[in-house]
Amino acid sequence: MKPENEAWSQLREWAAAQLPPNFADRVLRAARAGVDAAPSLLSQFALGAATAAICFLTVAFFQARGAHEEDNRTIADWQQIASAADDSGLSQ
Amino acid sequence: MDPSSTTALVDLVHRAQRGDEPAQREIIISYQHRVAGFVYAMTGRSDSVEDLAQQVFIKMIRAINGLQAPAQFESWLFRLARNTCIDHLRRQKLRRIFLPFAPEHEDVPEPSGAVDTEELDALRYAISQLRPQDRALLALVQEGRSHAEIAETLKTSVAAVKARLHRAREQLRQHYQSDHET
Repeated sequence: MKPENEAWSQLREWAAAQLPPNFADRVLRAARAGVDAAPSLLSQFALGAATAAICFLTVAFFQARGAHEEDNRTIADWQQIASAADDSGLSQ
Repeated sequence: MDPSSTTALVDLVHRAQRGDEPAQREIIISYQHRVAGFVYAMTGRSDSVEDLAQQVFIKMIRAINGLQAPAQFESWLFRLARNTCIDHLRRQKLRRIFLPFAPEHEDVPEPSGAVDTEELDALRYAISQLRPQDRALLALVQEGRSHAEIAETLKTSVAAVKARLHRAREQLRQHYQSDHET
């Protein structure tokens, strides 16, 4: 396993070289500025589910309101027809 | 200061918990290379190291007040690092589904550097063939975590850790040797 242990050391050395010299200061600045760490998967799913629920409720609300108005128009039309029929019946 | 000294570490953590910025900076400087190595072992991408390491330390600063046992700081920090990397890999997997042709999914070869060796390339390849959970296990062992600490981190038994570690090492060795010999 010795070559692998050396390789692990090299891997750490390689990774460490990816950090800038002022990495610690950048972290502290970001923490002070309130920069959020990436949201967790759960919070992202929760946000997606909440968004989908709001969209669905909005569509359902306007659908129901539209159907209600359509019903009212239909009823008004039939009332008009019935009224006209009554008038013509009376006139006869 | 050598943070491996438990008393010094506990004192440093207590100061960081009180919001002492120099103490927080000292912790970051002391652990940044080890966290970077851990992140790289988990993700296999050098372009993820700085961003994820930064996330780990920001989480550390925000959550350190909740650490009840400062002597367990190292285990706690690497648990944070592991969870951050696992979350990142899961998000990447989801993005591959919805954005299959996004540039971050391309298999860009790692840039060459001063520490490029055949052994390092072979290890990179071998690690990339393992599941993220097994990468985390091997990386935690490389960080000097005991079986008991790893079991606590993974919420499993010491026997399960030993069994999984044995399998992960076998798989790593097979992939390492197959790449190293080609």
